[in-house]
Amino acid sequence: MALTFAKLKLRTLRNGFRGRPAKILMFVLGLLGALFYGALAFLLFLAAMTAGHDGLALAPAYGGTLLALAWLLMPLVWFGVDETLDPARFALLPIPKLVLLRGLLVGALIGVPAAATLLATSGLAVGAAIEGGPAAGAVGAVGVLLGLVLCVLMSRAVTSGFARALRARRTRDLAAVVLAVLAASLGPIQYAINSGAQSVGMDRLESIARVLGWTPFGAPYVVGQDAVAGDWAAVAGRLALTAAVIVLLAWWWSTSLESAMVGSAGDGGGSGTGPARAGSPTARFFRRSRAPRTAYGAMLVRELRYWLRDARRRASLITFAVVGIFLPVMLNVGPAAGDKQLPMAVQLLTMVGVGTLASVGIANQFGYDGSAYAAQVVAGIPGRLELRARAMAYSWLVLPVLLSVVALTVVLRGHPAELPAVLGVPLAAYGTGLACCLHLSVWGAYALPETQNPFAINTGTGVAKSLLAMAAMIAGPVLAAPVFLLAAFGGPVGSALALPVGLAYGLGAAWLGALTAGDALDRRQPELLAMVTPKR
Amino acid sequence: MKKFDTKLAVDGVDLAVPAGSFFGLLGPNGAGKTTTLSMAVGLLRPDAGRALVLGHDVWADPVRAKALVGVMPDGVRLFDRLDGTELLTYHGLLRGLAPDVIDQRVTELLDVLALADAGRTLVIDYSAGMKKKIALACALLHAPRLLVLDEPFEAVDPVSGATIRDILTRYVAGGGTVIFSSHVLEVVERLCSHVAVMAAGRIRTVGTLDEVRGERTLEEAFVEIVGGRTATGSELSWL
Repeated sequence: MALTFAKLKLRTLRNGFRGRPAKILMFVLGLLGALFYGALAFLLFLAAMTAGHDGLALAPAYGGTLLALAWLLMPLVWFGVDETLDPARFALLPIPKLVLLRGLLVGALIGVPAAATLLATSGLAVGAAIEGGPAAGAVGAVGVLLGLVLCVLMSRAVTSGFARALRARRTRDLAAVVLAVLAASLGPIQYAINSGAQSVGMDRLESIARVLGWTPFGAPYVVGQDAVAGDWAAVAGRLALTAAVIVLLAWWWSTSLESAMVGSAGDGGGSGTGPARAGSPTARFFRRSRAPRTAYGAMLVRELRYWLRDARRRASLITFAVVGIFLPVMLNVGPAAGDKQLPMAVQLLTMVGVGTLASVGIANQFGYDGSAYAAQVVAGIPGRLELRARAMAYSWLVLPVLLSVVALTVVLRGHPAELPAVLGVPLAAYGTGLACCLHLSVWGAYALPETQNPFAINTGTGVAKSLLAMAAMIAGPVLAAPVFLLAAFGGPVGSALALPVGLAYGLGAAWLGALTAGDALDRRQPELLAMVTPKR
Repeated sequence: MKKFDTKLAVDGVDLAVPAGSFFGLLGPNGAGKTTTLSMAVGLLRPDAGRALVLGHDVWADPVRAKALVGVMPDGVRLFDRLDGTELLTYHGLLRGLAPDVIDQRVTELLDVLALADAGRTLVIDYSAGMKKKIALACALLHAPRLLVLDEPFEAVDPVSGATIRDILTRYVAGGGTVIFSSHVLEVVERLCSHVAVMAAGRIRTVGTLDEVRGERTLEEAFVEIVGGRTATGSELSWL
């Protein structure tokens, strides 16, 4: 049965590529990238097992933990989950739950990230075999395989758990908090690494590694070392720990799987009939908003409402809020800052990053709409107007977050005089990023599957998403470079000028971007609609 | 004409819809009805050929042409995270109507289509028939001269179907033009003044209802034109 699922997954993948060279190219690029990093990590782990160097010997514990955390967090904050095998499609088939679970797990194990992880960690098993003979190698291999299963299961269980939470409108606030806490767990890791980097001493690093080795994150990757050292009790303990966690995760996944299978049918309790609002239809539509009663105002209000009502859009906003808030905290309060603060230029560079990151959420704005975009096409809305309304609505929600990041940074650094520069640079970067992302949204849109899971994406689009966002992430900062240079190296005058210049620069860039992208949109409306309409 | 990869979906459709007619576009599944209508309203760019709406080229002069048409696409999502009233108001504003006109028309449309109670439910939670009705309301709101409807009677219950039929009949009587695709032949037979039959991307027959139908029922004519098979009774004997 599991074999059937594997075949199904491979066939769906293959059919998805049929007649779409761009998608194949993306896939191959992603594969090459994954191979490259996988091979690098393989060599690192191999060296860790065989070199006998003290520092390197800690690599399995730290590297394994990082890998596991990446599996936990990446789907949530960035990549989404490949829902090629959507559990809902099996709802009508008479498959026992255990078999379905096993099959879906096998399906989830087939994929580029899993292959790259396996390639990387197999360095541990090979290393253990070289150092400690075949028995140690076998133990290492078991650890590596269990580790992979643990990672995949964890990402599945957590995302489907979250999907359920984000779907119900009542629990979305709770979900936001939990997501924030999860992302915050990046902090401690950062802390551990940085305290190591500051050569606090091998003792401390080793004690942390010992702790990590007994968490489910690190345990499966350290058993190879135990076996080489002949510590069979530790091997048994760690493997038992891993297996226990795997069983627990599988159980959690199976409970959320059930709701995913009946999900779309039984859903809908969340909205219901809201409290009766009096007034004429237009008054009800605009509520207290003072947007003009025109097509522009209508789009503005609808976009605002959609950023808050659509789980996918909400997830992207929350992600930016969390990352945006934690970045300055980590850089200025964490051990990286230590006693001395970041140099101003570096701080400003991170502000360029924050500004750019703020703009990326709009890069697939039409993909969020899906085929609903047809309404705009049929009504013949001018592209410039459309993009202006969308950019305005998005900025209305994102700029307050951006401003609080700036405020937080200034407070943490304790130099109010830096405010103009720290504010002007991200504003400029946001403007240029917005310009790039508006173009991206017109030229590089991609369809999102019509499921309820806000983390679900189509196979291969993870790579497409990354490449496109990467392009915007490079082009945006490059375009914002003049303001950065002025603020960072212009002395006190440049630093003070950075705010007005940055504001004007960002506004101008965004305005130009909306104009040019709007003209492109006018020429491409039907093509864009076809790009964002999910294939069935 | 429209090509998808190597498959020719619609090949040389030359269709003139007389103003003031109630025009039914018939065809089996996959005949190219949706593709044809999408190209006629600006949702899908044709590889060759053009589409005129009351003298305005949809692809050369889209703003003028689109203002004259009301469209109800099939299988297309609405902005379904708005509630019914919000969605209609949104469409009215997109079409540039004045707020007081919108208020009056939205209230009236929701009333006539029996959606007033559901005005505060998000459209995503509507049933399939309710979604059809609200989509029709969106297409009607700006009082277009031409209505293009893709499968307006699919998934609609008999009562709503009758309401929709009434509205459309009155609309045509008032001088409007309706073209819709369907494979519900009895509805077409009851409503339409003109009929065209499509199969495999080509128009097979076009004319007034009586010309196409002749002496037969429309169903017999349709099956004969399209070339369907008749069951012999020997297959599926295991059922």
